[in-house]
Amino acid sequence: MLQAKRILTELKKLDVSHVVGIPDNSSAALFDLLHRDGEIQLVKVTQESEAFAIAAGVWIGGKTPVVLIQNTGFLGTGDSFRGTVMRMRIPLLCFITYRGYTKMVARRLDPDSTTLDAELLSDSGLDSAALITESTLKAWGVPYYSLDQDDEVSKVSLAFAQAKALSQPVALLIPREVA
Amino acid sequence: MLTKDQLLQPLARIRKDEVVVTTMGIVRPWAKFSQSALDFASADSAMGHAADLALGIALAQPQRKVICLNGDGSMLMTLGSLVTAVESGARNFILFVVQNDTYEVTGNQSIPGAGHLDFVAIARGAGFKRTYFFDDPKHYKACLKEVLSGPGPVFVAARVQKGTEGPLSRGPKVKESYLKPSLAESTHEMRKVLTEAATKYGANSNLAGQ
Repeated sequence: MLQAKRILTELKKLDVSHVVGIPDNSSAALFDLLHRDGEIQLVKVTQESEAFAIAAGVWIGGKTPVVLIQNTGFLGTGDSFRGTVMRMRIPLLCFITYRGYTKMVARRLDPDSTTLDAELLSDSGLDSAALITESTLKAWGVPYYSLDQDDEVSKVSLAFAQAKALSQPVALLIPREVA
Repeated sequence: MLTKDQLLQPLARIRKDEVVVTTMGIVRPWAKFSQSALDFASADSAMGHAADLALGIALAQPQRKVICLNGDGSMLMTLGSLVTAVESGARNFILFVVQNDTYEVTGNQSIPGAGHLDFVAIARGAGFKRTYFFDDPKHYKACLKEVLSGPGPVFVAARVQKGTEGPLSRGPKVKESYLKPSLAESTHEMRKVLTEAATKYGANSNLAGQ
């Protein structure tokens, strides 16, 4: 289990100033905690593509933003992601909740080795958002890691260090609900 | 209706230490009147997201005003950003929509809603308390100081004549100084400028006393 308070502690260690995003079931506890805590400014957007452009502006303004969105929303951000944080070479941590991961794993489908086709992508027992999340991250040139348990929370700092070293966005996929 | 020069020249004259973010058909015309290190061109960037970018700068630099000179086609792509801007509480954000009813840089094709779109009504509906509409250059010039004063977020729609700006590009051969660096270079330079300025800004804020 991954606890919101552990993520918040990591974000504070990294001097994160703004969390920009849209909540979902998986990130609800983290959004709630951020709201109650109040130390990091929470910027709720109406659409995920706004999140990357706003985060880019926050970074230009000298602060340290992160983005927190669901994979379905991430899939819709193509031009915003490409034209802002990636093209601007911004070291940005992107927390992406992984809707559909559980169903995908239950069917023993591995995103690395599964051939995607129309039959699979229209399978009502699967969430196609999950099926194409990792291949999209790869196609867009985004290093990514899974963040599923409290004892993995150090990945937050490691991913941020990588983002800074590469001067580009790095993603952390959150496959289950944050508690 | 205003010409672009009638919109931009008075703004460049009155502007002090505000960040100005331009996009699309305003990028090159603005450079005729301003060569400030606080100008940022959202060019070779993401379509429709100049206002979001400017809002982000405003949120990171609450002591400094941030002006976005957005296009009407660009604004239509991200109308939800109006809600986000108000919700974010960015009192230092001033958003202009330059309304010429066309996608100018791609050949002046009409935007959806051309001729009847009421951006001020949309902005008010999104929660902007301070809104302005200008289609007369004298009225605009007379009100500009007020527009830039006081707490935001502020929304301005300005009816501007159709132009002939073509597609934007960046590079050392481009005339406008803020288009010479790559987008990444420009981004990192602006962060440096704003970070260094922030250390000596403090009480000299242009929001002081509001």
